Amino acid sequence: MTEQLSHKTFYGEAIEPGKPFSPALVRDCYSVFACRHKFCREVCPVYQQGRNEANTAYGFHTAILVISKGIGELADMRGTITNCLECGACELRCPNTLYGGDFYRATTTNIDLVRKVRRDLVAAGIPFEGYEEVKSVVDTDVGYFDDASEDITRWAADLDLPRSGETMLFVDYFDALQTTEVPRLAAKILQAAGVSFGILDHPAPSLGELLDTDLEAFIRYARHNVDELKKAGAKRVIVLNPHDYSYLTRDYPAHVGELPFEAVFITDELERLLDEGKLNFQREEKSRVSYHDPCTLNKICGITDSPRKVLAAIPGVELVDVDPVTQWSYCCGNGNASYRQIHPETSYRIGANRLRQAADLGVEQLIVACPRCKDQFTDVKARSGSPIEPTHILELLARAMGLD
Amino acid sequence: MPGSRDEVVEIVRIANRHNIPIVPRAAGSGLADGAVPLRRGIVVDIKRMCEILEIDEENMTVTVQPGINMLELNKVLAPLDLFYPDDPASYPVSVIGGRIGAGGWSLLGAGYGHVPDLVISMEVVLPTGEVIQVGGGGGKKIRKSSVGFRLKDLFIGHQGTLGITTEATLDLVPRPEAEFPAFFAYDSLADAHRNAYQLSRTGLRTLSGMVMFDERKVEFLRRDDEAWIPLPEDVRAAMAVVCYGAEVEVEAAKNRIFEVVEAGGGRYLGTELSEGDWAARHDRYHLSHHGRRSDGQVVPLSWHCEDAAINHSALLFVNKRWHELVNSYVERYDGMFDNWGMFMYVNNPFKPWGDYLTEIDIGINELDMTPEVWAAWIELKSEIAKVAVEAGGSISACHGGTREGDVEVACRVELAGGQFKLMKQIKRMLDPNNIMNPGKYLLDEAYEEEVK
Repeated sequence: MTEQLSHKTFYGEAIEPGKPFSPALVRDCYSVFACRHKFCREVCPVYQQGRNEANTAYGFHTAILVISKGIGELADMRGTITNCLECGACELRCPNTLYGGDFYRATTTNIDLVRKVRRDLVAAGIPFEGYEEVKSVVDTDVGYFDDASEDITRWAADLDLPRSGETMLFVDYFDALQTTEVPRLAAKILQAAGVSFGILDHPAPSLGELLDTDLEAFIRYARHNVDELKKAGAKRVIVLNPHDYSYLTRDYPAHVGELPFEAVFITDELERLLDEGKLNFQREEKSRVSYHDPCTLNKICGITDSPRKVLAAIPGVELVDVDPVTQWSYCCGNGNASYRQIHPETSYRIGANRLRQAADLGVEQLIVACPRCKDQFTDVKARSGSPIEPTHILELLARAMGLD
Repeated sequence: MPGSRDEVVEIVRIANRHNIPIVPRAAGSGLADGAVPLRRGIVVDIKRMCEILEIDEENMTVTVQPGINMLELNKVLAPLDLFYPDDPASYPVSVIGGRIGAGGWSLLGAGYGHVPDLVISMEVVLPTGEVIQVGGGGGKKIRKSSVGFRLKDLFIGHQGTLGITTEATLDLVPRPEAEFPAFFAYDSLADAHRNAYQLSRTGLRTLSGMVMFDERKVEFLRRDDEAWIPLPEDVRAAMAVVCYGAEVEVEAAKNRIFEVVEAGGGRYLGTELSEGDWAARHDRYHLSHHGRRSDGQVVPLSWHCEDAAINHSALLFVNKRWHELVNSYVERYDGMFDNWGMFMYVNNPFKPWGDYLTEIDIGINELDMTPEVWAAWIELKSEIAKVAVEAGGSISACHGGTREGDVEVACRVELAGGQFKLMKQIKRMLDPNNIMNPGKYLLDEAYEEEVK
């Protein structure tokens, strides 16, 4: 799906209050506005809550078009533009993508537009609503990076992992500092399967929030990560967090050029190991489960098969599947950047709705392949009392392999 | 965005008391600008009212709030093997309230009926804030009654001028066991047109839809190979037919259809195209990028669909006249208009014969619009509408005749036999202060002249 990259260059040109808009941006917004179908709507998890049509790809593109015509101003977008998870469902469902995308190179790129408008608002000194929340998330990670004494690899202290290798495991700050069980289990599974790999000593932040606020910093950190991985001798980089996988395969190449290594998502690597007979199962994991497609993985990167294949191979697991296209309209509610911080209530409702959908299937566990989904569902479960247990796929796999 | 009937009533009462215009808005996907305010005021968006209130399996009805979308409704009905068969091109986005307000048309209408046939009864908030229940007589779930006037129809297709539907009870059908879509190629539209009549005469009850594509439409669909599963060069016109029903009926119907089509000169285009394109039938490829100038350059155009209800016997006449008209404007304003061809869908509810929803799709250049081109556009719309009336048809089968260019022909020509006058009298009676979507259907006149 990475070939579906945006060919548009105009998102780099800032909208500045009082100055004319780039004609290419206006035409692009028009091509969404001119749609009479509006299929971007019901598929949108934010729209489903509250059903306000302003909070859709159609709404955003139309608003920018209208502002370009001198009706309203950029500052009017300060609230509206925060109502997007950056999940990508609208882009896939848009007839421009379905029927004209590759031919006209006119795939609808709502995520790029939303990020651009948020950045332009910040640059113009009229930041979007909730910017302070986002800024604090960014500042925390930047603080860790700037402090050379900060050990971002504490999660691996007892695992004896080298700091170089042809295969590297890329562990982002969220996994390294908050959901440490995810990288630990990944490392143990890979080791048990005989994969030798290293990790970076001091990676740079890889935050979606930077794409919303400070593109220059995002690019600077992207360069750092690519350079360090290259220096470490990486030919393959296994990525643990699907958000990172989307940045590495989609945004890094767009901003820092083609990667000097291959980026592999963890479940694709596990599928390969499974096919080679290197995943040895020790026990049955008797459980009825369903799988939640993380937005970044399903809608942005198109990886849907490998997690299902791995799950189906675990002895005792009964997978009640919901197909990935149906899951275009699902989301855990966390979002690609700081949606959850800015809109905690709607975020919760989206998550509770997703757990209800799982409960309707009569399953015990909802398996995720994203630490952000896991974190969000854990909170939603605690607040809603849902009987559904959110479980990271690596937890289930590690238990079956006797590694927990 | 009210969340309940009582909130709608409150808004309407305040507006009526203070003479503030109200425009009901559903999904906003209509093609007649029904939800576009002409006199400013309050837009009442009903999409938040989207609950399913009752599913009655035994009597096969569902009672819903007006903001629910059909695709979402059918997801809930599917496990019960029930189906709400309203299937417009806007199926994944439009909502029940808008379907009612616009008097919607369904692709499967020849099998299952259109919106006016599928709504059994409803609750309507009148422009004064009074709440009424309308249906077949008084029974909420009664499809046929001979008590009282047929008032339900008055509140379907009024484009938001007579009230706001806050609840509707809808007719359900058993989920069809079998679906058979097929696409056939013809040497000309005339051949497809003749064959459609022959198919009608078979009397097959499962035949739920027929769509003809004229020569220009097939050419348009060839503009890029993503927009159309590649067609052999010898395909000049096409027809899609679809059967829905029980397995045993559909299987038999399929054989009969192949027989009749073959005898009529049609050629089956294969399962891949038939099933693939039928599944994608809601995405009718009218992207702005499909616009072209006469030299072949891409120019972003907006899709405008001019539709009419036309009898089978007049279809070829209308086809010829509409193309002549549109082509003359395309020539005069190169790059401003583009002829995207015509579809003809069988239109009669429950019966696949008689009259057809006939549409000509036109690309228009809104980005470079000038007052002169706009005036030409209105003139073209008006001429298109006049041809429909001249052919004994109605100027819209599915969108409504409320846009500039259409509305004058609708009210002053098509409805000249006393209907427009009665519409004005009814409007004034139900909406004494002209607050409900004022300006639509020229109904302001109801308050300007002596209307008794």
